Amino acid sequence: MSRLLRMSYLVAALAGVGFFVMSILLLGVWPGHTLEQEVRRMSPEHPMALTASESRGRRIYAREGCAYCHTQQIRYVASDVARFGRATLAWETIFDYPQLWGTRRIGPDLSREASVRSADWQLSHLYAPRSLVADSVMPPFPWLFEGSPDRPTQEARDLLDYLETLGRDRALAAPEGEAHARAACNDCSDDQKRFAFAPAVLNANPARARRRGESARLVRSNDLARGQQVYGLYCATCHGARGDGDTPGAAGLHPRPVNLTEQEYTLDRLGFSLWNGVAGTAMPAWRELGVDDLSAVARVVQNFHAAQSEPAIPAPVLALGERVYAARCAQCHGEKGDGNGSAADQFPVAATNFQAERPSIAASLRAVRNGIEGTPMAPWANELSEAELSSVAYYVRGFWAGGSN
Amino acid sequence: MNDQTASDATPIVETSLVYAHGLAAIITLLISVGFGLLASIEMLVPDFAGNTPWLTWGRLRYDHTQGIMFGWLGNAFFAFLYHGVPVLTGKRITSPRLGQWIFGLWNFAVVAPGWILVLAGFSQPLEWAEFPLVIDSFVVLALALALVQFLPPFFSRGLEDLYVSSWYIIGGLIFTLLAYPMGNFVPELVPGARGAAFSGLWIHDAIGLFVTPLALAVIYFVIPAATRRPIYSHFLSMLGFWLLFFLYPLNGTHHYVYSVIPMSAQIGAITASTLLGVDVIIVVANLLLSLRGAGLIPRDPALRFVATGTVFYLIVSIQGSVQAQMAVNRAVHFSDFVVGHSHLAMLGFATFAAAGGIIHVWQRIPWARYNPVVLEWSYWLLTAGVVIMVSDLTIAGLVEARLWQSSAPWMESVRAARPYWLIRTLTFVPIAAGFLLLLAGLVTGDRGAGLRRVQEEIGLDPVQEIAPRLATEVV
Repeated sequence: MSRLLRMSYLVAALAGVGFFVMSILLLGVWPGHTLEQEVRRMSPEHPMALTASESRGRRIYAREGCAYCHTQQIRYVASDVARFGRATLAWETIFDYPQLWGTRRIGPDLSREASVRSADWQLSHLYAPRSLVADSVMPPFPWLFEGSPDRPTQEARDLLDYLETLGRDRALAAPEGEAHARAACNDCSDDQKRFAFAPAVLNANPARARRRGESARLVRSNDLARGQQVYGLYCATCHGARGDGDTPGAAGLHPRPVNLTEQEYTLDRLGFSLWNGVAGTAMPAWRELGVDDLSAVARVVQNFHAAQSEPAIPAPVLALGERVYAARCAQCHGEKGDGNGSAADQFPVAATNFQAERPSIAASLRAVRNGIEGTPMAPWANELSEAELSSVAYYVRGFWAGGSN
Repeated sequence: MNDQTASDATPIVETSLVYAHGLAAIITLLISVGFGLLASIEMLVPDFAGNTPWLTWGRLRYDHTQGIMFGWLGNAFFAFLYHGVPVLTGKRITSPRLGQWIFGLWNFAVVAPGWILVLAGFSQPLEWAEFPLVIDSFVVLALALALVQFLPPFFSRGLEDLYVSSWYIIGGLIFTLLAYPMGNFVPELVPGARGAAFSGLWIHDAIGLFVTPLALAVIYFVIPAATRRPIYSHFLSMLGFWLLFFLYPLNGTHHYVYSVIPMSAQIGAITASTLLGVDVIIVVANLLLSLRGAGLIPRDPALRFVATGTVFYLIVSIQGSVQAQMAVNRAVHFSDFVVGHSHLAMLGFATFAAAGGIIHVWQRIPWARYNPVVLEWSYWLLTAGVVIMVSDLTIAGLVEARLWQSSAPWMESVRAARPYWLIRTLTFVPIAAGFLLLLAGLVTGDRGAGLRRVQEEIGLDPVQEIAPRLATEVV
């Protein structure tokens, strides 16, 4: 009897170890094997590993616990995909030693962050998060900088480099890699295919700026209160409560956020920038706000511009301006001032469409004289005479097709 | 009289090791709560840390949970084991000298340097595994030494007639040692989604193979010892034990539902999570039936903590089973709902069991001070703190989940959560007060007051009467 008992405990002990080994095989080794095969089938041929700087940045990301507020895993569910883009595929994670998927989302998922925010935005945000995002609870990382967001240490540059790898492989793989992966996704359900490969959802993040694309049709809103509320929550950190663009957050951004008191915009022009952001700058898209809120914000923005009496410009001045414009400006800004010049597409930031946007005389003069830092707009002060500078500054304002606001 | 009692009551218990681990547990607990408080304040005042890297949220967050797991629960379980193992087996632990080594390793090669290294920026970004690899090797060493310390008494006594607490102790110690390297080393070697599968296993094994078995060992030990009635059903005890060890390790993947990890593994883990709820109902029913007569809020502080921990165990486990279901998980995953869940598990269930265990063994140290009035206050403050914090975080999670499902901008969910985060921070007051009183209850009062009280109230010698009863009434 006692021998039998002793044997039964031996059996029990083996069973216990068996359970444990089984759990590792069932939930660790076997899924790992399946994932490995999936990676082999679906990965593009040469996914990019991290450079030395990017790897160092990843270690900083790990050290500061970034993964404990920002996931790096877009689940196969509609709400994740709508906010953050195509669901995460196994092959995208093959360089993650160790994984940084995270289990809590206080801030947004960062799987596709590279294509969402600009470098100057990232650095300013790391330096002082609330200078760009009102009510953010992200800790600041000033010790990665030497006193200002424009002076990142090597650590901050490494971290930025790492952030710019997030989603990079997936973006580089498109479209051939996507088609290949989709075809190789043997046991994907329809839902999985939809969440991982539907063309509409690549980088679906509503903050991701795009150069082209459809635009919200804003309407003339009378809901000034709502507009001011939304402006205060989402716009004021960069453009300033009074629209003058003079804020601490603006200091680290290149180009600086627009001084809205110096610009007139058509409603369509505002609709495009609010819906699509301004690609190549820190201005994100605001598709998540919806047309009603954006219309209300557009009203606030248009109100920043105080109507002034327009001086009459003598005809010879405009004639000089026209000649200078044709020689120097039309390549980018287009012969009709619509921003569609033959060279416009070569540049990372779109050229101003003067039909839809009218700078004040002072702003126009300043831009043509000094250029606009952080954009392809060059300073012309050394190239053009004083008369030419001012004439073209007046001339471009004449393209305005928005009527008086 | 006292000396006489001392030799009678605890003839083979190394009371100084019980005492040392008990004090270390509560001190590291207070420090860990401090880390948690600072981290929670930084969610309200994010510029709190200023230009001080080691005060930043991420590092405090790492130290908070690692301190709770290693410092508080680890030491508390060791304190219990130094009492429980000799009482359960009638044998001494392997070596008091080894005990000093384990104490030193655990506190001065794991907890303290782990904390400091994390603050200095040396860590790994894996949940429940944040201490850096160099610390992990000391953990493995200490766990191996703990096997040498605590398991031989069971084997030299013979494995027949093992009481369920013994099973949990043996199982918990062995499987923690096996699971620990998997969670801490494997994800460094296996990348991305494949590594996450192992991380998921460890996240659940940390709670399922380390915290839960040892907390249940305490609960199963304290209830019969304090009520002086055998456990309701040894059959249910053993059924619960085996189901737990079968099901708990199979839960891991439920941390990554709707991920790219194969759906069959996810569904397997969800099924196991559901069945685990059933198992916990069996375990808790057995425990609550064993408490019959003592009431849900017994007079003995140790029993009271343990009984309330049992109720928290039931709630947190059923919550876990529900949370693992795909429809629920889709909404609440990543939200404060889960943070509430883990606090109910660690601060509710495990902490109440561990505190009950420490109080129980303290009562049986003849020279230890003991102040039951203070402990009663500690109990009520902690209970109130846990209930408020967990309810608050649960509601916060539901609010966040709802906003995430909508088209509202992300920041709306952050703004909506803030009032709840404020309440969470305020629950620091009852919780920290409760823990301070727990410490006060064990270092004030008369020396030997605990033992006298046990003898007066129960009227029997605590060890001589309990040990055989535990040992003989087996399945």
